Amino acid sequence: MLAFKVENLNLWYEDNHALIDVSMDVPRNQVTALIGPSGCGKSTLLRCFNRMNDLIPKTKITGKILMKGDVEIRDPSVDVVKLRTDVGMVFQSPNPFPMSIFDNVAYGLRCQGIKDKKQLSATVERSLRQAALWDEVKDSLQRNALKLSGGQQQRLCIARAIALEPSVLLMDEPTSALDPIATAKIEDLMQSLKQMYTIVIVTHSMSQAARISDQTAFFLLGELIEAGPTAEIFQVPKDKRTEDYISGKFG
Amino acid sequence: MNKARRRKDIMRTSVTWISASLAVLVLTSIFVFVFKRGAGTFSWSMLKDDYWSKNYLVAFGDVAANDFAPPDTDSEDEFFSRKFGFGLADSVDKENNQLMLVTTVSALSPLHEGTITTAGPDQGKVMAIPLNARIRRIDYLDQENNVKSTGLLGQDHSAEGAIERLEQEATAIREIYFQSTGGGIRGSIIATLMLIGLTLLFSLPLGISAAIYLHEVAPRNKVTDWIRAAVEMLAGVPSIIFGLMGVSMLFRVTNLFGITTQSVLLGSFTMTIMLLPLIMRQTEEALIVVPGSLRMASLSLGASTTQTIFKVVLPNALPGILSATLLSMSRIIGESAALIFTMGTAISDSPKISQGATTLAVHIWTVMAGEQPNFELATAISLLILVLVLGLNVTVKLLTYRINKKWQV
Repeated sequence: MLAFKVENLNLWYEDNHALIDVSMDVPRNQVTALIGPSGCGKSTLLRCFNRMNDLIPKTKITGKILMKGDVEIRDPSVDVVKLRTDVGMVFQSPNPFPMSIFDNVAYGLRCQGIKDKKQLSATVERSLRQAALWDEVKDSLQRNALKLSGGQQQRLCIARAIALEPSVLLMDEPTSALDPIATAKIEDLMQSLKQMYTIVIVTHSMSQAARISDQTAFFLLGELIEAGPTAEIFQVPKDKRTEDYISGKFG
Repeated sequence: MNKARRRKDIMRTSVTWISASLAVLVLTSIFVFVFKRGAGTFSWSMLKDDYWSKNYLVAFGDVAANDFAPPDTDSEDEFFSRKFGFGLADSVDKENNQLMLVTTVSALSPLHEGTITTAGPDQGKVMAIPLNARIRRIDYLDQENNVKSTGLLGQDHSAEGAIERLEQEATAIREIYFQSTGGGIRGSIIATLMLIGLTLLFSLPLGISAAIYLHEVAPRNKVTDWIRAAVEMLAGVPSIIFGLMGVSMLFRVTNLFGITTQSVLLGSFTMTIMLLPLIMRQTEEALIVVPGSLRMASLSLGASTTQTIFKVVLPNALPGILSATLLSMSRIIGESAALIFTMGTAISDSPKISQGATTLAVHIWTVMAGEQPNFELATAISLLILVLVLGLNVTVKLLTYRINKKWQV
């Protein structure tokens, strides 16, 4: 079963051809890692999955991204607001809203028009539990989220995203701003989250990709060089460039 | 370091020092001047009194003489009536007209309970003769029950003569004709507040919405760049031109409300347009400070653009918008040229939205523009304006400091 099927995707930022003819599969309930040096297009591809690229003016896209087999996500009939509730996103540096922990997690639901307090608090608790943050904050849900530590803030952002029960969770270098202990916690979290969600993660850390992902796709200068099961990519890469990158010859 | 270089350095440093101290000196001297000239006139009664002195005729129903003890603070210039318990002193006003002022009124004096007989809405009300009232005429009954008069309009032209006559002849007081002090700025304070309220009511929604449109909604293209440049240009237009525009164009708008003269409403329309660039600019600055990552987070959680603006961006831009409001207030308080045209220069003691009135700044213009410029009142009002504007600006500084601190994390 596939979460996304990307077919011949091309993307231009004005004259810059950022994604060149990318075709790949993102399987369900697995962790797919997108790796490659800076500017290789991995984050751009990630932002295509929830159409955050729509916000950047003068962007041109051709090709297809099929979700759940048959829904072309750039089709005019697809409601982008609805798509983003089904494809959650966690950003590079933690970006909780400057409001209480509870309000942060409930934000997405409230935007959907849900006002029922019982339902809200039930969802907030479930999401915080899933994000392994509940035990740390259950007594201080009304505290300002900015008072949390960086790692806690990032887990709060994960809780905020999964409160909407998306099918996919996109993560754009979610641990690059965190210390090793907080990183380890987030990595553990991803292992448990993949039971429920498909995870696509962009990472700069080769070891992180090797540790947590089931599938890996290697990008270079906008092109998808190689994609496949993580073990294969790391142990028997088919392409010379993949091998060079993984072994640290460039990047 | 060689000599030439050292000499140059010293020269440049001293130029900056001299310029800086000159600037500080000028600023301080303005403050000192305003405080020295104005502080003497500045008082609570100045803030709450009418500007125009009013004539009152107050009847006392032939209240009989009594015996009152003179006050302890017995001065040479003050003359006290033991029979009726009040003191008078001679004085002159700004135009050198002779005055007779009430200096003391004993606690139980009959002067506390007169009835206004001047025609008007206050007729029949009980009124006490206030301190500093300008006594024009006192009607009293003598031993033969004849009505006689003293005071400036009566037989005596000095406080001493009037009091002496009362002490010798009067058995009862019938009526007192006096003028209230005047010279207060209550009307102008109210007009200023009305102008601030109305202007903010119109300009804040307009300016904030326009800024949101330009910064959050509109695409960045030639048209919006042009709009932005036009708004910036508006900020540089002299205010007297806004005043001209007010009387020539906006006057027709106020005409639709049936207002045929200069009015506070017309002033507020004009100020609204004048303040739009300031409010738009400040609001946009506040919007820029809100991190883009919050917008991204909101959108990625399935919020619409509008929800993102109203739930995340605006609440975080609020301190900035508040400082825009405060800055606008100080601009309104300080504005004069545009308001002279649109609100007129006639000081009103009970300003109405549909009528002309003066703000504090225009009040200064009016008292200085006459044949006998009233420096004392003008500087006292300046003092008030300086304090208000200073207070508002300090608040803005504090707010800005807090915003910067908030996003430093």
